[in-house]
Amino acid sequence: MSVAQFLTIFISAVFIYNVILSRFLGLCSFVAISRETKPAMAMSLAVMFVTTMSSIITWFIYRFLLIPFGLTYLRTISFILVIATFVQFVEMVIRKISPPLYRFFGIYLPLITVNCAVLGVAVLNVDMFFINGKAIPGSFYYSVFQGICVGLGYALAMLLMSGIRERLDLCDVPKAVKDFPLAFIIASIMSLSFLGFNGFKF
Amino acid sequence: MKNRLIVSVSPHLHKDASVSKIMWMVVVSLIPAGVAGMFIFGVGALWVILLGVVSALITEWIVQLFAKRRVSVLDGSAFLTGLLLAYNLPPRVPFWLPIVGSVFAIAIGKQVFGGLGQNIFNPALAGRVFLMASWPKYMTTFTKPQNFDAITSATPLAALKEGKVLEGISNWNLFLGIRGGCIGEVCIFALLLGALFLFVRGYISWHIPVTYTVVVGLFTYIFGPRGLFSGDWLFHILSGGLILGAFFMATDYVTSPLTRCGQIIFGIGCGLLTAIIRLWGGYPEGVSYAILMMNAATPIIDRYTKSRIYGTR
Amino acid sequence: MKKYFYEFLKGIIKENPTFVLVLGLCPTLAVSVSVINGIGMGIAATFVLLGSNVIISLIKNIIPARIRIPCFIVVIATFVTITEMTMKAYSPALNRALGIYVPLIVVNCIVLGRAEAYAQRQTVLKSLFDGLGMGVGFTLALILISGIREALGSGKFLGYTLTPRYEPAFVLGLPSGALLVIGLLLGFFNVLKNRKE
Repeated sequence: MSVAQFLTIFISAVFIYNVILSRFLGLCSFVAISRETKPAMAMSLAVMFVTTMSSIITWFIYRFLLIPFGLTYLRTISFILVIATFVQFVEMVIRKISPPLYRFFGIYLPLITVNCAVLGVAVLNVDMFFINGKAIPGSFYYSVFQGICVGLGYALAMLLMSGIRERLDLCDVPKAVKDFPLAFIIASIMSLSFLGFNGFKF
Repeated sequence: MKNRLIVSVSPHLHKDASVSKIMWMVVVSLIPAGVAGMFIFGVGALWVILLGVVSALITEWIVQLFAKRRVSVLDGSAFLTGLLLAYNLPPRVPFWLPIVGSVFAIAIGKQVFGGLGQNIFNPALAGRVFLMASWPKYMTTFTKPQNFDAITSATPLAALKEGKVLEGISNWNLFLGIRGGCIGEVCIFALLLGALFLFVRGYISWHIPVTYTVVVGLFTYIFGPRGLFSGDWLFHILSGGLILGAFFMATDYVTSPLTRCGQIIFGIGCGLLTAIIRLWGGYPEGVSYAILMMNAATPIIDRYTKSRIYGTR
Repeated sequence: MKKYFYEFLKGIIKENPTFVLVLGLCPTLAVSVSVINGIGMGIAATFVLLGSNVIISLIKNIIPARIRIPCFIVVIATFVTITEMTMKAYSPALNRALGIYVPLIVVNCIVLGRAEAYAQRQTVLKSLFDGLGMGVGFTLALILISGIREALGSGKFLGYTLTPRYEPAFVLGLPSGALLVIGLLLGFFNVLKNRKE
C-alpha cells in the first residue's frame, strides 16, 4: 500500500479507464441525463455515493460470505441484489429524514440500480483486488478508493458533457445528428483527448 | 492599440473586423512558420501543407453542399484548419495522412456541430489526435532537419522521454528550429513573429498564451529530473508544439472562454495538463491533448465566469 | 402464426434495441472490437433475454407489483449466472475477451426493459418470440458495429485479412472509435428515417 498505488488508481479510474468514456459503464444514464448541468450533477453525486457504498458492502460480502462458503459463482446475483436493496433503502431513508434532499436526487436513485457503473465497479474490485480467492494486502482500501474514483470519473464526464450540450442547445445543429448521435461523437473526441494520459507513470 | 477585439456580452461597439478577415489574418501570420518549415525539412513539407489545405477546402464544400447549408468555403476557416493540421504533422508522411486528417477535422470536428462558430473542439487538433491514435507509426516518425535523405530522428522531447542524451541541441537551435519535429512547430522565431503581428493588430489577447507558457515553464522547473526546482524550463518552452499551440490554437475564438478570467483559467489548465503529460504521461508531447481537454471544459468555464449583468447582483 | 412472426420481426428493424430504442449500449460498445466477440455477446444476451422473458411471463401473476423489479433481477441474474458458467466451461477464451461485460448483462437495459415493458403483460409464447426477436436484433446490430470496427480498425473480418494494402486505423479498436461509429451510425439511420417521412 503506497501513495503511488493510490495515485495510479486515481489516474486510471478517472482518466485512462474513465468509467463512461473508456469502459462504457453507465452510458445510458450519461446520454439521457447530461442535457443540463443541474440534474447531471445531482445524478453524479448520487452515483458517487452509491459506488463508494457498494464497494464497501460488496467487499465484505465477497470476503466474509462468498469466499469462506465457496459460493463465488453467486457473485453476480448477490451483488446486484445487495445493491438494489441498498439503493431502495437509501431512498426510503432520504425520503423520511430530508425531503429537500429527496427532491434533489430522489428520482435519480432508482435509476442507479440498473446503472452498470455500480455493479461494474463491484465486479472490477473483485477481479482486481482478489487473487486466487484471497484478498491482496490493502485490498479493502483499494476497493473503497476505486469506488470513489470511478464516481469522480463519472462526475467529470457528466459535468463536461452537460456543459457542452447546454451550449449546443443554442446552436443550429444538423437535424440528423441532433441529440444522441452528437452526444456520442462528442464523447468520442473527449475520449480521444483523454488518451493523452495513456501510459501514465508517476 | 491592444485588445480592440473582445468577444463579450453587450453592449457591443462596432469594428470593421469580420470573421472571414480575422481568419485570413491568422493564416497570414502563420506563413513565416510554414516557410521556415519548408527551409528546414525540404519540399516534402510543402506537399503536406498543400494536401492538408486543399482537402480541407474540398471537404468543407462537399459537406455544405450535402447538408444544404450556405457554402462558405472561402471564409478562411477551413483553410486555417487544414493549414494548422498540416503544421502539426511530421514532414514526411504518406500522402493520404493529411487528407484523412483534414476530412476528419472538417467533417467530424466542425460540420457535425453545425459549422463555424458552433464547434466545441478545435477541429485541427481533433484531426491530429485522431491521426495520432490511428497511425501512431507515421505520426511519430520524424526526419532530421536539413537532411534531404530522410534520415529519421527523434524529437527533443521524445529523446528526453526515452532518457537519451540530447545530441548537442542548444537553445539557440531550438529557437531557430534546427531540430526534428512537426512542420509548423519547429521554428519558434517565425511563430513568435506571426504572433507579434496578431498582438499588434489586436486579434489575440495575451491571457491564454502567456499564462499557458508560463505555467508550463514553472511546472517543469519545479518538478525537475533532479529534485525540486531543477528543471530545464527553457527547453520545455522551446521544444514540442507549445508555442504553436499556445499562440495559435488555444486562442481560437470559438473553442476558448469568452471572459478574461475564463481565459486565464483556460491557460492555466492547458499548462498544467501539458506539463503533467510531458513529465509523467506515456507520450512525449501533450499540447494537443491538453488543449482538447480544456476545449471540453470551456462551456463550463464560461458558465462560471459569466460577467455580471448590469444592475443585477 | 402471423402475429408471432411480427413479434419476432419487430425487434430486428422497427424496434431494434440498439439503433431505435438506444438501449444496452455498454456491452455493445465495449465488446465490439471484433466480430467474433460481438457474436458471442449477442448469443449470450439472446439466451438471457429468451429465458427471462419466458420465465417472467410465466410467473407474472404471482409477482407482487411492488417488488417486481427485484424479482425480475433475480430471474435475470440466474440466467446470467448460467450463461457465465457455461461460457467459462466451454469457451474460456471468449469469456476472457468479454471480461466483466458478461456479468453486466444483468444490468443491460434491454433485458430489464423487455421484462418491464413486455413480458409481464403478454402471453408466454408472445414473450418468447419477442425475446428472440430482440436478441437477434441486438446480435445483428453488434455484428454491424463490430464488422465496421474490425474491418477498418485491423483490416480483418472474422480474423481473416481483407487486403494487405490497407493500413488499419487503430483508433477504431479503441473506445473512442466505438463511440464514433455508434454516433455516426445513429446519425446515418436518422437520415434514412427523415428521408422516408
